Amino acid sequence: MKFSGIRGLENAIMLSIVLFLFNLIFPIHDAFLLSLIHEGIVFLTIFFLYNYLQQSLSRRLDTPLSLVLNVGILGSLLFFVLSIANSTYEADSSGKIPLNFFNSLLFVLISFLFIASIVYIFTSLRELFFLRQKKDPSVYFNTMLVFFTLSFFSNILILADSELDYPFSAFYVVSIVLICLNSIRVAWIAFLTKKQKYYLLGLSIVLSIVYGLAYSLAFDSEVSSQLIKVFSPGLRAVFSLVMIYGSIYFGVVFFVTLFHLPTAEVFDRKVQEVASMMDITKLITQVFDFKELADTITSMTTQACNSDSAWLVTNTKNGIELNSVHKIGYVDANDISSRMLGSGNASFENIEVINYESLFRDKKFVENVFHSVAVAPLTMHGKINGYLFTARTKGNSFDAEDRKSLQAFAYYAAVALDNAILIKKSIEKERLEKEFDVARDIQRKILPSVVPSSHQIAVSALFVPAFEVGGDYYDFFELDDENLGFVVADVSGKGISAAFIMAEVKGIFESLSKIIQRPAELLDKVNGVLKGNIEKKNFVTAVYGIINRKTGILNMSRAGHTPSLLCSKGTVTRLQPSGIGLGLDFTNNFSKSIKELEVQLNDDDIIVCYSDGIPEAKNSLGEDFGYEKFEKIISENCSKNLDEISNLVMKELSLFSKDYPQHDDITLVMFRWKQKQ
Amino acid sequence: MAEFNANLRGVGSVSVIDVKGYLDAHTAPELENVFNRLVDLKQYQVVVNFDDLKYISSAGLGVFMAYVETMRENQGDIKFSNMKENVYNIFDLLGFPILYEFFKEENEAVKKFSDPAKS
Repeated sequence: MKFSGIRGLENAIMLSIVLFLFNLIFPIHDAFLLSLIHEGIVFLTIFFLYNYLQQSLSRRLDTPLSLVLNVGILGSLLFFVLSIANSTYEADSSGKIPLNFFNSLLFVLISFLFIASIVYIFTSLRELFFLRQKKDPSVYFNTMLVFFTLSFFSNILILADSELDYPFSAFYVVSIVLICLNSIRVAWIAFLTKKQKYYLLGLSIVLSIVYGLAYSLAFDSEVSSQLIKVFSPGLRAVFSLVMIYGSIYFGVVFFVTLFHLPTAEVFDRKVQEVASMMDITKLITQVFDFKELADTITSMTTQACNSDSAWLVTNTKNGIELNSVHKIGYVDANDISSRMLGSGNASFENIEVINYESLFRDKKFVENVFHSVAVAPLTMHGKINGYLFTARTKGNSFDAEDRKSLQAFAYYAAVALDNAILIKKSIEKERLEKEFDVARDIQRKILPSVVPSSHQIAVSALFVPAFEVGGDYYDFFELDDENLGFVVADVSGKGISAAFIMAEVKGIFESLSKIIQRPAELLDKVNGVLKGNIEKKNFVTAVYGIINRKTGILNMSRAGHTPSLLCSKGTVTRLQPSGIGLGLDFTNNFSKSIKELEVQLNDDDIIVCYSDGIPEAKNSLGEDFGYEKFEKIISENCSKNLDEISNLVMKELSLFSKDYPQHDDITLVMFRWKQKQ
Repeated sequence: MAEFNANLRGVGSVSVIDVKGYLDAHTAPELENVFNRLVDLKQYQVVVNFDDLKYISSAGLGVFMAYVETMRENQGDIKFSNMKENVYNIFDLLGFPILYEFFKEENEAVKKFSDPAKS
């Protein structure tokens, strides 16, 4: 029955005032019509009050026990008032209570108290009735309400004619039957904790008795019977019904609670498990520190499995690592785990419970002597990453329920571990990328920032690093007024190691170029210095040359490097004196192989030195850019400005490679010699 | 990513490694593993068959340099055979032919081990 309860309170108060005034004006309403009107007002008061309370009480559904307690207090209050009234008026009782103004006023006030109390009690019972009901049972309750109303009004008929008591009796009996039926809806009891159930058990038996007594008091005792009856026979009917309801309901609650007590503990544990699972799920997404999570997991495992200790180990390269212990020493936990897992060979693919004594028959070497130990694997993507242990010092072995909880926690631990590893990896990756940035920076700084262009020699240098740090290096050395030395080198491999070797090579060239004037001799010396300073699998290719500004004579040697190009009037020639790469061989093979080439440059001739990043640039089909294509660009654009030529080369390279990423450094150094006029 | 495969087989007392695909910085460790196995087995006479190799980078060349010394110290060697022209050019540019023996056919390389006097 839903009525707009917005104005419920105002309506109830207004009707109460009307009722009060009515009673003041007609203290005794023997006339049937007056009684009828009075009953109507009482009913409406009850109805509006019920409507109002129904709304306000429905907000307190989460605390059924406080609702029960309130009902109990009100019930006791009614019982108390009834008892007082009985003992006060018994003295001068001659069958009827003298009706004077004072008594009438008192009666009215007591009646108000009764109205308010029973409505509150009834509404509370209604809330308890609907509590935790999955299907809507309102039809049962509303039927009961209708019969309550019918009982209320049929009771007035007795006033008109005392013979007309059978409708009331009929309605009254049906109401009681409905009360009994509705009292069995007590599902909410199951959701209480063990402690709350004990509390409810005591409370409900007391309440059942109090309501029973209040009922009998209201009927058996002449005084209180009259007290209400005189005021309103309908109210008396409803009062007795509510008392019966209370008594029966709390009787049922008592027995149901009693039967729920044995399973209370299991229920509590389940609730706790669900709560801790939710906590862990939240933690996994928030905590990045695996150690912290592992601590939470072990402590929750002991709670959920009702065990005495728990610990967590993870598999590492060097065997097992203890990540967290709960209520057990590190040494003991380590001992037990390594005994159970052996030297890493034994594994538990499923949960297993092990009798402790069978495991450690030989000696009791740990302080905590356990009765049984359960172990669950932390499985992720079909791989076991660790184990979650839990142990009991006494009592029963782990049952199916305990294993289920242990498995659940092990699963969460596995997820957390996986997360932690992923995060660690990504942090590591970030760190490496930063280091790469630094290395790339250093590489750039090692290369000369300006080119030594002069009237006789125009110089252009282009360097395009690949994503990974490479080992390309070029440099210029002003040997004296006439001679310009230069080197273009490429360290094998990529990454930090290549960058380090490159820095080393720069140092060697810088110092040796000042002492040695012959390119072949210089490269031979460089090779000698590299011996012992470079790993076997690393090598460096280089081309070293000296150009005489005045004479235009180029002296150069090549150590395994890509051939340099000479472009003279549109004709490209490869300058490829023999010579093996630096660091390939440290015997005299190197000095035997290395040759020197002397070239007389003509006016406007171009010398091109480059790294293999140009001819070995790849496209998406895996094809090389190739030497021919490169040489063609040079020969066709020989007369152009050096920077223009390098732009053209880069343009052609990017056109060729398109979407394919550059995988090696690109270095392009060019010289143009001009005869002094 | 480019594929690489190194297969080991024995021809008499000589070990032959068939290399296939792209040998660069990322795939070089695979070839290193094969050489490590040979060193463990004390098999020092090695022929590398390049018939199916499409590409080699400087890091790939480094693998041979890293092991050739060990092989030679133990009366063995690393010899190369069946090399395609583009791959040979890279070895040639670096001057490998001065330091290593190259053969057109695998059996010539194998024969060289048993009869070093010839050719």
